[in-house]
Amino acid sequence: MELPEHLNKDSNGYESAEKIILRWDSTASEDARERMIFETDRQEADLYLQAVDEIQRSLSNVSISNSSNAGKNANAVDDQSKVNTTIQIAMARLEDEFRNILITHSSALETDSLFDPSSSSISTPSHHELEEDDTLSNDDSSHHHDLLQLQLQHCESSDSSTYRSTSSIREVDLMPSEAICDLQAIAMRMISSGYLRECIQVYGSVRKSAIDSSFRKLGIEKLSIGDVQRLEWEALESKIRRWIRAAKVCVRILFASEKKLCEQIFECVGTDIDDACFMETVKGPAIQLFNFAEAISISRRSPEKLFKILDLHDALMDLLPDIEAVFDSKSSDSIRVQAAEILSRLAEAARGILSEFESAVLREPSRVPVPGGTIHPLTRYVMNYISLISDYKQTLIELIISKPSTGSRYSGDQTTPDMEFAELEGKTPLALHLIWIIVVLQFNLDGKSKHYRDASLAHLFIMNNVHYIVQKVKGSPELREMIGDDYLRKLTGKFRQAATSYQRATWVSVLYCLRDEGLHVSGSFSSGVSKSALRERFKTFNAMFEEVHRTQATWLIPDTQLREELRISISEKLIPAYRSFLGRFRSHIESGRHPENYIKYSVEDLEMAVLDFFEGYPVSQHLRKRSQ
Amino acid sequence: MPATDYQASFLGRISIRRNQVIAMDGNHEQELQDLELFSKHVSERFAELLSSPDDVPFGALLSISWLRKLLDFFLCCEAEFKGILMMGNDPSQISKPPLDRLIPEFLDRSVKALDVCNAVTNGLESVRHYQKLAEIVVSALEQKPIGDGQSRRAKKALTSLMSAMNVDDKECSAAKATERSWSFSRRGVSSKDRVPEHFRSVSNQVAKNWSAAKQIQAMTNNLVPPRGAEGSGLASPVYTMNVIMVFVMWALVAAIPCQERNGLSAIHFPAPKQLNWAQSIIGLHEKIGEEWKKKEKKGTAGLLDEMQKMEKLGNILMDFTDSFQFHVDITGQKAEEAAAHAAELAETCRRMEEGLLPLQMQIREVFHRIVKTRTELLNALDQVGKSSPPLL
Repeated sequence: MELPEHLNKDSNGYESAEKIILRWDSTASEDARERMIFETDRQEADLYLQAVDEIQRSLSNVSISNSSNAGKNANAVDDQSKVNTTIQIAMARLEDEFRNILITHSSALETDSLFDPSSSSISTPSHHELEEDDTLSNDDSSHHHDLLQLQLQHCESSDSSTYRSTSSIREVDLMPSEAICDLQAIAMRMISSGYLRECIQVYGSVRKSAIDSSFRKLGIEKLSIGDVQRLEWEALESKIRRWIRAAKVCVRILFASEKKLCEQIFECVGTDIDDACFMETVKGPAIQLFNFAEAISISRRSPEKLFKILDLHDALMDLLPDIEAVFDSKSSDSIRVQAAEILSRLAEAARGILSEFESAVLREPSRVPVPGGTIHPLTRYVMNYISLISDYKQTLIELIISKPSTGSRYSGDQTTPDMEFAELEGKTPLALHLIWIIVVLQFNLDGKSKHYRDASLAHLFIMNNVHYIVQKVKGSPELREMIGDDYLRKLTGKFRQAATSYQRATWVSVLYCLRDEGLHVSGSFSSGVSKSALRERFKTFNAMFEEVHRTQATWLIPDTQLREELRISISEKLIPAYRSFLGRFRSHIESGRHPENYIKYSVEDLEMAVLDFFEGYPVSQHLRKRSQ
Repeated sequence: MPATDYQASFLGRISIRRNQVIAMDGNHEQELQDLELFSKHVSERFAELLSSPDDVPFGALLSISWLRKLLDFFLCCEAEFKGILMMGNDPSQISKPPLDRLIPEFLDRSVKALDVCNAVTNGLESVRHYQKLAEIVVSALEQKPIGDGQSRRAKKALTSLMSAMNVDDKECSAAKATERSWSFSRRGVSSKDRVPEHFRSVSNQVAKNWSAAKQIQAMTNNLVPPRGAEGSGLASPVYTMNVIMVFVMWALVAAIPCQERNGLSAIHFPAPKQLNWAQSIIGLHEKIGEEWKKKEKKGTAGLLDEMQKMEKLGNILMDFTDSFQFHVDITGQKAEEAAAHAAELAETCRRMEEGLLPLQMQIREVFHRIVKTRTELLNALDQVGKSSPPLL
């Protein structure tokens, strides 16, 4: 081919460069199609790059010469055109080489980089141990299952025994440095020839595929918002757990590493370009990642969702500084903004759920009285719930900033209790909410107690339940600290009061039979005792006691200590009274006919019988024992 | 509705008994006025959207700026609608018939609309991708005089662009790589690791089986105009808002490439012609529907005006670069024409550059608004106590 005249100086250089470029023109030669320069050998690659450089130099020389001429002659135009063509061929080739190198080294992130059994998202199973009879979903079993799975995967894939953490940004090398050098070299040439756009396109599409593979490996699903609304919450809980783990890996390892790779490859050409490539690669996947969290944040609120939502909130909060570090350019505004929006929605959701919960406790409508006056499932549920809340104290203290909406003291609204705030000065809003929940629970329980026909049972019911509340509060230091000893004292007083009311309700009339008055007949010299009245007394006492014994054996006080205490308290009043009654009046009965009809029970009998009380199951009626 | 007007009628209510009947009617009148205003505004806004200036061809419909206007109107209508629904009325009304059925349906449609928003946002990424490819074409053809090199460069980009626009619309299978075409066919690529499974131009964030057309179809389920006495209360604006929401989503999906849009034009619009405010919407639906049917046969990426232009110009320029390649005589006139087309393409790219991001942000705002209204309605329903889930 003809040599452009004014390039005589470099004519040899240009000529040989052009030869090399044309030799590798894949549209022209079969051979060129079959092989890749950068896979062949180093020398070939270097030669090619030098050739490209040479052509580029010529291009600028041609431009300079052209502009220095008075007008462009046909030759000059031709020359420029030829050089341009050569450049284009070179660029097309480099683009393919670039793509090829990328593809060769683009696969999903290695497993051992991904997993981290010691990460914080699964380090708190102890907090979430729930009672057996709880109605909340049992986190424990699924935690353990996940732990097990992770450990298995880790053992299978990792050579090293070091556990790596995803608690902070950790960039990994996605490609060998040789490849990066090559990519750098190619990128430089493409960009200086004005082929930046092609470069970005190729880069983005290959790396996006790699990220997609990593996403699949991490188990990141593409769920629509509709899907998330439809799924059962339990299913969502495990997805949330998985998401939290995956999100940490994505932000701190995957995206951070991609960013580093962009910076490395486009090191010499300025930050705008590596930003552009990074966003091209990562924007879509990042949006996909956050879409799930967003879907969760807008799901319908109901109490059982609180804790997983708090988990999600905490995880995202923890990740936010890293999200901001990784997505720090202007073009990634939308991602940062979305993450912040989701965080704020999750906080709103948590607040809303708490409110929801309080209303639900207040309104809980079951009317069927719990048999035996024992602890109502509502009480258990609520106390467990607020115990868990106290576990999440750290987060919730930040989130819960307004006081509970209690009824007004003057509203006269019978359907809501009111709560004095004066004595609760200095308490955090969260603590106030917890106290409010207990107030509301009691209010509801008081209502439920009215469904018992037997007033004694109603009192017992209240005693049992309030005692349970007290025990639960005492059992959790955080809860106790928030509720405060003042209110705890109030609660204690309430159940003691209920115990007293119970005793009064049941035993006053029983003990009434054992009173002195009305038995003595005044008048005659030998101050006598009305035998008939006495017999009546004994009969009444026996009947009453039997009835109470029969009934109240089936009642239940689940707490052993409380049961004991109440029995002792009953005994303390009953036994001495009976003993003294027996002592004073048995002779009168025994001197009459059929004393066994009236003095049915010895003191020991009664003592034994009291032990049957509140056991929760019926006793046979064989209490009759003749006393000699 | 201005707050002061409402206050006046409220105060009117607590006046002496003698005035009570009149005052209560006044309140009711206020409501009717608000409903009428709402319908009127809806009517006006959509009439504006329907009218295109005489000198602009149909294509101005569904352009980026038209879509932005549409979304803007949606937000306005939505705000008015919420005002009518939430403020001033007895909150327990929403749990009474017919709203006790209509509101949950509305909420369900809202959730579907959210998914459409996300799909459309995803689709806009595709459009952005086309823009970038087109920009390569423009930058190649900008240089004068156009030489062989530039022409080849442009052709390469055009090939990618045209195949991306065509293939993105059909469900992309792994076989049809939509990636920027290799300069040559690769042989000897044996092991699986070397070529990733998919080579989509834009990673797809939408769930596999999700279908935009089916989603919109589902949104039209149970959408019937209120009958008889129902029509005088809140059922009416609820119906109106539903129709607006469905229409907006439908139009977005028609304009922007979304997963699985077969059958979009078959979606029947449940708005009877008698309703005044619906006239323009029905008109728009017909117009857009017709265009869709035309394009459906050719299988192109969507009705977005800028994309249509891009496609048209792309074809023309492709012919040009072909003729260049085969050394057909390029006269000065042809070159000038090509330059003119390239300039048009540049203009289209510029409009995309200016408008796509704001459009995405607007869709996001629509998303937020729908979420907000939904949350408020759910809260209101819960307050009334009927819809909260049982505790135990």
